[in-house]
Amino acid sequence: MTRLRSLSLIDAIGLVLLAVLALYLAKEFVGDPSRFINVSIIGLTNGAIYGLVALGYTLVYGILQLINFAHGDVFALSGLVASTIIVSVFGLDESTGVLVILVGLAATLAITIPAFALLNGSIERVAYKPLRHAPRLAPLITAVGVSFVIQNVSLAIYGVDFESVPNFIPRTDAIRIGDIVIPWNKLAVFAIVIPVLLILTWFVRSTRQGKAMRAVSQDTEASAMMGIDVNRTISVTFFLAGALAAVAGLVYLLQFNMRYDTGFELGLIAFTAAVLGGIGNLTGAVLGAFIIGLVQALNEGLDGTPGSDWTRSLVFGILIAILVFRPQGILGEQTPEGA
Amino acid sequence: MAAPADNLLVATQVRKEFGGLVASNDIDFAIPRGSIVALIGPNGAGKTTFFNQITGVYVPTSGSIMFDGVEVVGKPPHAIVELGIGRTFQNIRLFAQMTAVENVQVGMHCRLRGGIFGSILHTPRVKREERESRERARELLTYCGLPRRHEEYAGTLPYGDQRRLEAARALATDPKLLLLDEPTAGMNPQETADFTDFVRRARDDKGLTVLLIEHDMKVVMGVSEHVTVLEYGAKIAEGSPAEIQANERVIEAYLGKGAAA
Amino acid sequence: MSTQGDVRPGVRSRVQRTWLLIGGLLVLGIVYPLIVDSLKSLPLIGDFVPRTDSMVTILIGVMMALGLNMVVGYAGLLDLGYVAFYAAGAYTAGWLASQQFSQVTVHFGSTVSPDLSGIHLSMWLILILAGVFTTIVGILIGLPTLRLRGDYLAIVTLGFGEIVPQFVRNADSIKGFDLTNGTFGIAPIDSLGIGGFVFREQSNKQDLYYWTAIGLLLLTIFASVRLRDSRLGRAWIAIREDETAAAAMGVPLMRTKTWAYAMGAFIGGVAGAFLASFRAGAFPADFYFNFSIFLLCMVVLGGMGSIWGVLVGGLILGYLNIEGLATIGSKVQQGGLDFDPTKYQFGIYGVIIVLMMLFRPTGLIPERRHKIEVAEGVHDTPFYDVQLEGTLTDRDQSDD
Repeated sequence: MTRLRSLSLIDAIGLVLLAVLALYLAKEFVGDPSRFINVSIIGLTNGAIYGLVALGYTLVYGILQLINFAHGDVFALSGLVASTIIVSVFGLDESTGVLVILVGLAATLAITIPAFALLNGSIERVAYKPLRHAPRLAPLITAVGVSFVIQNVSLAIYGVDFESVPNFIPRTDAIRIGDIVIPWNKLAVFAIVIPVLLILTWFVRSTRQGKAMRAVSQDTEASAMMGIDVNRTISVTFFLAGALAAVAGLVYLLQFNMRYDTGFELGLIAFTAAVLGGIGNLTGAVLGAFIIGLVQALNEGLDGTPGSDWTRSLVFGILIAILVFRPQGILGEQTPEGA
Repeated sequence: MAAPADNLLVATQVRKEFGGLVASNDIDFAIPRGSIVALIGPNGAGKTTFFNQITGVYVPTSGSIMFDGVEVVGKPPHAIVELGIGRTFQNIRLFAQMTAVENVQVGMHCRLRGGIFGSILHTPRVKREERESRERARELLTYCGLPRRHEEYAGTLPYGDQRRLEAARALATDPKLLLLDEPTAGMNPQETADFTDFVRRARDDKGLTVLLIEHDMKVVMGVSEHVTVLEYGAKIAEGSPAEIQANERVIEAYLGKGAAA
Repeated sequence: MSTQGDVRPGVRSRVQRTWLLIGGLLVLGIVYPLIVDSLKSLPLIGDFVPRTDSMVTILIGVMMALGLNMVVGYAGLLDLGYVAFYAAGAYTAGWLASQQFSQVTVHFGSTVSPDLSGIHLSMWLILILAGVFTTIVGILIGLPTLRLRGDYLAIVTLGFGEIVPQFVRNADSIKGFDLTNGTFGIAPIDSLGIGGFVFREQSNKQDLYYWTAIGLLLLTIFASVRLRDSRLGRAWIAIREDETAAAAMGVPLMRTKTWAYAMGAFIGGVAGAFLASFRAGAFPADFYFNFSIFLLCMVVLGGMGSIWGVLVGGLILGYLNIEGLATIGSKVQQGGLDFDPTKYQFGIYGVIIVLMMLFRPTGLIPERRHKIEVAEGVHDTPFYDVQLEGTLTDRDQSDD
């Protein structure tokens, strides 16, 4: 049910808050433009990674109306496994030649993508599928449980240590315009993420499986009656989400180090991004991710902002604000609640 | 339309749009106090949508609905119940996890006072209220044709009893206006006849006004005093049952063009 | 007219057996501190017997689980941030019973010397104040969140469950004002006591706190039972099952959900304040997100909405968490295996949650309504059935 009168008041409050924020950002930009832009570039880079994970959340939510709490932990585990493959199996380090590194990374992805696609699909089969007709609370609770199981698997294998890979992608500047720099390692993120996004777009828009996914997201019963294999479509969605998580894991690993619990924070950030953009909306997930990435970077990179201690609270604050002021997100459509 | 009678419900230019679909097309509708009115029309005509707007489940895109002099549009469903509108659902929506008595007691929720402190402390007043509500629930159930099975879970009752329970629960809200959404669906002729008697009796005993959505023409002709016909969200006719039966536009709506004999 | 076919033979004796069980458990609970040493000296199982001070924490954990049970089990609201209530209660005790606010000196029924700076109110009063304050926090959190759908509600409560701990960890300099003493927490927090009789100064201080915990737990159980069988309890079940129909029957959704949340908050606040006094401090390390999941696991394991179930589930998991896993771990290590189960306890809880939801979603001791919800059909009536639950509330026998 929409509440006509109160909506406008809430809308007004939301717009006022946004206006204040915009003014603040404008002031910062004018104060030190190149720093603002550099920080923003970091934000966009992080946003690209968040986008891959956010897509995983939004794909699954679109088709099952389920928040797959475990998704972030699958992402983390994939990064940890990738680190093992890169360092211990392939033995890549800073001294390795560029071509070998590229081949090594591609080979790593060739292993982690199918592996984690399969893992994600298996999780769905084992833990969520049996509960498809249970009360709504049930798969949600199960997802929380699965999240902890995966986290502890990571813990069991890797302990509490941070895993990382050597900096074989240099942090030197690739592009330089005045004081604005884009280092190689940031460029590399886009070099990987953008093709993945293009492939995903093509898949969802042009292939039969992609169309099936969209159909099932909109109306499961009607799709089944049209002859679409709903079970298989759901499985494919989970495979896809798992694959995206694996790519995100590797890209994240190239920038930062990872630990068994990295997935928790990142999962929350990515889910917030998905909701911000409009849950169920793929473009929205990426858009939301860029925005969150920017917010985080600006919070941590500028003076006068609360700083990295408060990042989690800030992201949650955004999540709560979205759900209060505009629950359908930026690109989402307003659905009649309770109908 | 009707002379400036005492209308319990007056709907003016009620319009409901879902995106591009117009489900209710500027409907004007009045229900005289104490009458039994039927709302009919082919499937998809928007009858339940109209009901849902009266009860606050949907908010009209535009228009007004005045109930006993009070504007209902924009009020949350529970407030509308408090004003005195009770309803049943087309596809039975009982609380399967609760017994028949408890279902009826939920209907009484807005008429009871027992709050959190009184409940925890089990004050004499709350204790008495609970006891009285149980008794009244039993009475209502018996009145509606369920003299036994009060402590059985609603989900385990046979279909006919579930319908009766729905009616009892709706009556428990102590309504001035009772909305019945296809109440005889799935009933055999005997049950249907019993039900039409029940509607008349309830109206007379409890001083109700009744609006029902019906497909069964015998019920419509047999129990209602006014009939309004919807098609594609718009009102196409209204009048007495006899008038509607002979109305060519109505026959056309149901049976297609050329069927008006 | 009682031809409803529910009066089975032997019901009276089953009722009597239940009261016997309750009485027995109560007696056991009360004498536990007195017999714990003898229990611990038993061969084989002696090592597994929990200490009295562990039992205090376990009992309060169960109390919080019962609070969560009202939110999740009765009203069907998936609250993943209960730890926020725990923290709110604990820090209320910290503010009102320590030297945190040494700028003032206020004493009222305190158990410490009157020239100690800071606010020192009677700890009993603080328990109530903490409950009230946390309820206010709960209502504030509930205002924007309770009208959201179930899954969004879960995430948002999760968010609050994260923000509050992060807040207390960092709030040592809000415009220069130290609210929570940051990562150090607030300590020492005053003891419970009556006038000159200070619990913490007694040789059997665990026992005294233990008995207080039993009292608090009994009050919580009492409130749970009363609410379950009340007008509000019915409204919660209705909302849980079919919100739209509930609203159509006159149940005010927001208000009713807020009551559930408020009750959960109150219980969490009282529990938090009590624990803060028991442990003589409110430390940020105690308030971690996983704790909310831990409580949820108790409710899921025991049976959502089932008071006995949550009791059992809470005791089992509480015990495992405080002592059990560690004891098992040391036994396992003595046996030669280098495996520390305490490290993986949340993995274990995760497995428990998943297995329970897949194979026995109604929990160890199902609540009768959830059984119907999951459509288990009509099996042998469990030890706990309709008749017995009716007698607990001391209702008119003539009703049946």
